[in-house]
Amino acid sequence: MKPTENVLEIRDLVKDFPGVRAVNNVSFDIKRNTIHCLVGENGAGKSTLIKILTGAYARTSGQILLNGEEYNSHSTRDAKQKGISTLFQELNVVDQLTVEENLTLGMEDTTLGFLRHTDKINRMVSVMNDIESSIKPKQLVSSLSVAKKQIVEIAKAVAAESNIIIMDEPTAAISESEIARLFTIIKSLRDNNVTVIYISHRLDEIFELGDYVTVMRDGKHIETKPVSEIKDRSELIKMMIGKTVFEQYTPREEECLDTILQVKQLSNHRLSNISFDIHAGEIAGFYGLVGAGKTELARAIYGVDDYEGEIIFKGEKLKPSPDKAIAAGIALVPEERRSQGLFTILTIRGNVPVMNMRKISRNGFINDARERNVTLEYVEKLKIATSSIEKEAGKLSGGNQQKVVLSKCLFADADLLMLDEPTRGIDVGAKSEIYSLIRKLSREGKTIIIFSSELPEVMNICDSIYLLYDGSLRATLRNDCDCDSEKILHIVTGGE
Amino acid sequence: MTTVKTESLRMQLDRSANVRSIIKQFYIFVVLVLIVLTFSVMKLDQGGIFDRGQFLSPDSIINLLRSAVPILTLSGAFTLLMISGHIDLSVGSAMSLSAVVYAWMVLNGYSFLPAFVVTLILGCGLGFINGYLVTKLRITPVIATLVTLSAFKGLALLIVPDGLSAIKGSAGIVMPDWINFYARREVFLGLPWAFWVAVFVIILLTILQRRTILGKYAAAIGGNRLAAELSGINAVKMVWLLYIIVGFFAALAGLARASYMSLGDPLSGDGMEMDAIIAVLLGGTAFSGGEGSVAKTVVGALIVICVTIGLMTVIPAYWQTVAKGTVLITAVVLNHLLVQDKINA
Amino acid sequence: MQAKEIKHLRKPLMVGKLSDESFITLFMLGILAIVFAIASAIVPNFYTVQNMLNLVTNNWFVIILGIGVTFVLITGNYDMSVGGNIALTGVLSVYFCQGANVSQNTLANGLGLPYLVAVGLALLCAMGVGAVNAFFIAKLKVPSIIVTLGTMMLARGAAQVITQGAQRNTSLPDAFGVLGSLGIPDTSIRISVLVMITLIIVAYIFEKKTVFARRIYLIGANREAARLSGINVGKYLTALYILSGLLAGITGILLASEFKAGVSSRAMGYEFDALVIALLGGVSITGGFGSVLGMFVGAIILSVVTSAATGMLLSPDWQFTLKASVTFIAILAQRFALDKRKA
Repeated sequence: MKPTENVLEIRDLVKDFPGVRAVNNVSFDIKRNTIHCLVGENGAGKSTLIKILTGAYARTSGQILLNGEEYNSHSTRDAKQKGISTLFQELNVVDQLTVEENLTLGMEDTTLGFLRHTDKINRMVSVMNDIESSIKPKQLVSSLSVAKKQIVEIAKAVAAESNIIIMDEPTAAISESEIARLFTIIKSLRDNNVTVIYISHRLDEIFELGDYVTVMRDGKHIETKPVSEIKDRSELIKMMIGKTVFEQYTPREEECLDTILQVKQLSNHRLSNISFDIHAGEIAGFYGLVGAGKTELARAIYGVDDYEGEIIFKGEKLKPSPDKAIAAGIALVPEERRSQGLFTILTIRGNVPVMNMRKISRNGFINDARERNVTLEYVEKLKIATSSIEKEAGKLSGGNQQKVVLSKCLFADADLLMLDEPTRGIDVGAKSEIYSLIRKLSREGKTIIIFSSELPEVMNICDSIYLLYDGSLRATLRNDCDCDSEKILHIVTGGE
Repeated sequence: MTTVKTESLRMQLDRSANVRSIIKQFYIFVVLVLIVLTFSVMKLDQGGIFDRGQFLSPDSIINLLRSAVPILTLSGAFTLLMISGHIDLSVGSAMSLSAVVYAWMVLNGYSFLPAFVVTLILGCGLGFINGYLVTKLRITPVIATLVTLSAFKGLALLIVPDGLSAIKGSAGIVMPDWINFYARREVFLGLPWAFWVAVFVIILLTILQRRTILGKYAAAIGGNRLAAELSGINAVKMVWLLYIIVGFFAALAGLARASYMSLGDPLSGDGMEMDAIIAVLLGGTAFSGGEGSVAKTVVGALIVICVTIGLMTVIPAYWQTVAKGTVLITAVVLNHLLVQDKINA
Repeated sequence: MQAKEIKHLRKPLMVGKLSDESFITLFMLGILAIVFAIASAIVPNFYTVQNMLNLVTNNWFVIILGIGVTFVLITGNYDMSVGGNIALTGVLSVYFCQGANVSQNTLANGLGLPYLVAVGLALLCAMGVGAVNAFFIAKLKVPSIIVTLGTMMLARGAAQVITQGAQRNTSLPDAFGVLGSLGIPDTSIRISVLVMITLIIVAYIFEKKTVFARRIYLIGANREAARLSGINVGKYLTALYILSGLLAGITGILLASEFKAGVSSRAMGYEFDALVIALLGGVSITGGFGSVLGMFVGAIILSVVTSAATGMLLSPDWQFTLKASVTFIAILAQRFALDKRKA
């Protein structure tokens, strides 16, 4: 194989989803044996691009050249055989297997189907133990923490011996010392003729690790250049965000003083001893990395998951069950829009009123006219772009789907609205609409809690910021415009 | 302070998990021993099968093991399928159809080998159809195999001539004697070929589960299908293969049944899917897949047989259905208590 | 301007004016018409008024069962216990009614309760079976297929125990046969058919108009989202399984009255038939989608197919293969039609 200068060349790549163009005419090259970083906000199209490379999605049009030859992958298996392996953002380990079995999964050495214990396993284990030495190969993966599971995955991708390794946010859930060891390994991979495509939200990592950086925004390619030619973070941020700058946070004129929600010593399988008070009318933000316990906290307050401790809402102890929480005046916009929030196979009309059926019915019988009017009211109020309220919710674009879920929760008439990753995977326009809606709701006197893994989001709209790490509450800050984002990042990655 | 508390909480959890896992490891053997003891102590005088009225006499044990042949043959493969998170409700019908086809071939003058091979190939074909419906057409396993349950049973009934209840010798043709040599003639320790084949099958499948990628991939697919696929495992192919394997062993079981009865009864496999499910659940395989053990399913299968046969000797036959239903519900409860992860309500 | 826009939104979608549900129902009606035309053409004496009436009246029991099974299926679950439940309820209603200590024969002795009390108790037991299902499915989260197959065995087994594997049909009061024999004179329409029609109408209104039914669809469409939207999923599943048990109980009592006997082998395989007609009527195998009216159409399709087979003098052995093929085609047709529509 004659080595070309570029290991991957992407030409005019397009990927359409119903209602959105996720990747829009993207072209750039990735040079051989470099660490190539890919940055952009959520919804910029990075993940889609990666999924096309790994064969999870088929492209709509365009061309990809691997080592100068047309590359077309139909599955991750296919991609792997062609030398591209991927470390996905979601945890992809099998809990029921041991660490060793997970490491070799899909790449076993076999004779007639019989598993052989070869040197490969030892090599993989040693790669893994270089990063984190406490993981034992015979241990069941279900007994590991999230961070350790992630390390098992990293070791697996590294040991796959591919030409190209794609890493999608590998450091999201691991501690700083583990990150340092991972970086050493990534750099030694580059020196051993491996190209690494590295995706991260943490811009410092780009400067520390990257040779080249590609910036994407709204599905488009913005720029590809050597990291050394970029002055500082703010230049990178400018490229990522473009012109759309969100409204800056303005401190509240009156302090909110009445306590509406008290959480006392909340613990469960993922949370330890969390206590805080939320005041009526404020916007509170919980920030932490993936696996820090944000979603678990939201679910515990909402009564979905079991917990020990006390949650007091409006002076009364909450009973742990979502229907009780809604009755008390709490609504949750869940993290996973399609699987937890939306009834995708039902129409918009079928979705909007579900959390407050009493309002559109009498004696258990639905009043069709009222149901339609309510739906129309919310479609108009939240500017949901649709041709009819009879359209299937699953066919709307991401942003509009999220607005349907929001309508659902707003119609519940709750005093406390919890939003878990409210803007994940939606475009910039819809994002800022949702932000102004949150501000408007707050002005109307609603209390709002946002759970987010995007720091700018929390810093732009929240009055107070709560920092979570590994299931516990590490710090509480008042947002006074000049919160130190460095310091916040330090805390949420486990620093004292 | 915080961490200390969490640690102790986690240790507590670990300890209770340990106790549970120990119970989970061994309870099934205890259950088997208890059942055997109960039936041994009871006076089983009026029994038809146990000549000496004793559960633990050599004769009765041999009888018991002989009746256990079909379930022993089938349940290992069934376990692998359930570990992968899939189910096959059509195994009973596949067994009946194979029994009928085998008996028909023997009756019509084919010798052992062609009849044997054709029946097994037929079994693979039936499994192939199930696998196709589930993996390619992506019909829910329950529905797909319910449909084939009906289809296979229907075919078996259609093969049997009108007016007869089974494929058997009649005025015109005589069923050759050798049909029962596979499942009746004693070859070793008073047990027939079919039993020793079943033992071999169990050993084979235990090894397959523990030592080969088949077992490992089945667990991976059942545990986290997405992760398995992202690791490059072709889940469609694996699941399809597992259905074919189940079909193969269903045919082998049906063949043994036909040989034992010297006829091809189109209803002989009825209810086998329930026996297999009970055995697998007693053996501690999770409903949702991911973990399980062929060896323990075998113990589960022995329990099923002991209860069915044991009860048959003490109570009238019309208690059978209730008894089996009770065992199934008990198995479900035990499985729930010991195996299923307590993900919150 | 604004008002105009709203008016426009109010209109249903122009692309495919029907909802998917009415589309599927119409689609299956079309299939019914085709099957019916073919049957009329090739089967002698098929196209007669009496025969068409029979297509509906001979299947009242499956249709009543189908109502419960349809709703359960819409939540994404199965109820395979209905057949056993029919046998149990029938046998119990007989046992409760039979005179106490009237004969040497144990099978002739019952509890000697008045008929209405007997019926009430039997229905309670039928609902009890549903409640047991619900406990395992809603509380212990066991897959419904396994649980209901188990309770099917328990119910049928209990019927066998009470009848010693056969039936009970002696020393019954006269009142016992009344329900099953009354009807519109000179027609094949008996009380049971009227009950079926009433239940279909009630179920239709229930399905289209009530909050309760709406929540059933929500559970089937997305169980997790339904829970997070404050729907107590367990409560609704429990209610539905008890309902399904009750419908099976009503069927069992009507059948027992019609035959003046409690037979332990009654209604073998009806659970499969009820499932088949629901699938034929376009109820989705994964839940969230389907209608009672569709199930009714499905029942007629199956009845046309089976009675055509009988008319062509096929042996009864054909029924299993026939049902399997029809169901298989129905599943594929439903998927094909919906995919086409979505494309």
